[in-house]
Amino acid sequence: MLSRNFRLQNVGNLEWLKDNYDFSRISYSIDELVVLDVTRGEKNLEDFCTALKFLTDGCFVPIAAGGGVNRIETARMLLRSGADKVVVNSELYTNNGLVEDLASEFGQQCLVGSMDIKMSADGLYQAWSENGMKCETGPAKFWIEKIINDPVGEIYLNSMDRDGTGQGFDLELLGLLPERVSKPIILAGGAGNASHLSEGLGDSRVDAVATANLFNFVGDGLKKARQSLVANGIVLPMWDVLLLERHLNPAGSNRDKVD
Amino acid sequence: MEAKVYSGMSNERVTIIDYGMGNIWSVLSALKYLDCNVIVSSDPLVIKESKTLLLPGVGSFRKAMKSLQELNLDKAIIESVQGDGNKILGICLGMQLLGTRSSEDGETAGLNLISASVEEFSVNEVGAFKIPHIGFDQVSSQDEAKLFKGLPGTPDFYFVHSFRMLPSGLSGISATCRYGTDFLAAYENDNVFATQFHPEKSQTNGLMLLRNFLAA
Repeated sequence: MLSRNFRLQNVGNLEWLKDNYDFSRISYSIDELVVLDVTRGEKNLEDFCTALKFLTDGCFVPIAAGGGVNRIETARMLLRSGADKVVVNSELYTNNGLVEDLASEFGQQCLVGSMDIKMSADGLYQAWSENGMKCETGPAKFWIEKIINDPVGEIYLNSMDRDGTGQGFDLELLGLLPERVSKPIILAGGAGNASHLSEGLGDSRVDAVATANLFNFVGDGLKKARQSLVANGIVLPMWDVLLLERHLNPAGSNRDKVD
Repeated sequence: MEAKVYSGMSNERVTIIDYGMGNIWSVLSALKYLDCNVIVSSDPLVIKESKTLLLPGVGSFRKAMKSLQELNLDKAIIESVQGDGNKILGICLGMQLLGTRSSEDGETAGLNLISASVEEFSVNEVGAFKIPHIGFDQVSSQDEAKLFKGLPGTPDFYFVHSFRMLPSGLSGISATCRYGTDFLAAYENDNVFATQFHPEKSQTNGLMLLRNFLAA
């Protein structure tokens, strides 16, 4: 979770998260959760796994986790700490066989190939790895085509230029995709309100949109965004948040139904 | 062999079969949310004596069957369910393992508690849809299905799979899902229950379904 408005959001502070919102409740507004360790330099896997368990407790959606996955054992630890899928990024560019090994150990459906794309000074899109620190040689289009053919189940396409800005997705990125893509594309980077999400989901090349923007975490921003998407005819899965509560205590709850 | 016990407030006791292939954490977390007493075990004796079994699973059919056989769990499950009438819920690969056979990773026999075979989705079946089938999708449940009691007629559940069972000619269809073709989304026949989707990843719809399984 990253936000450029650091005065409002204390990035990386779990206690802050706990005090400021009930995560398991917010999770009812999403279809999937992505948790990334974006620590630069030395990462502490044990601490991250503890955080992962903490964040995902009571969260009944698929969970993808990653950030610095460079060994089978790291992936295994994440999968044992609440993750259903593992996000790989830098290793997609190394050609050392790790992605193939991960796929054969856990299955392709378990891997999300995450790509950070940024426009260079000369107006060409390039792929960046190592937490956005290293620019990969060659155009992003080349890498996207290669990685779509790697043994990963889904592609997470992030615009570094828009990430954290809240100015909307970079839909131009989708022009880098081959004509027919056989894997789900998750578009990320830049969503700042419901109409941005709607814009992303309205594009036939996009299967899912991701957001890490501050509006998720303030009041019921995310819940309202979801309701507005559904009201605008976007097909999203539905569930009654209070289904179980009502079943266990039929006379009790008189709160409104929330989708 | 090690068996881990988690105590909840309710009287429900569930044994999660641990054979090294499941995402046990998330199933466990859902059952704990429902206040169950949960045992996670790979001990055939514990499996045989459990009234309520849960068979999770993610990965390859062949590897999973091999692992069940090495731990002597295949016979224990069959004896417990077929012999003693204990109830079982198979989830995702766990459902497929209850079938007769699968062609995943070479021909492999299953536990044969559901009279259906497991095949990969073919391009003919799914047409323009992508394989694997990943994401939330609506299922159509049978009116009298115990698993879907209290749920809307076409609730959303989370799927992630490339292999499927087909409903044609099968008794015990609880729900189907359309993905180019109609495939078996949920099964219930006496004490054998199964879902191709992941109830533990399907928000309140999934929690309700697990609740229904426990009450069945």
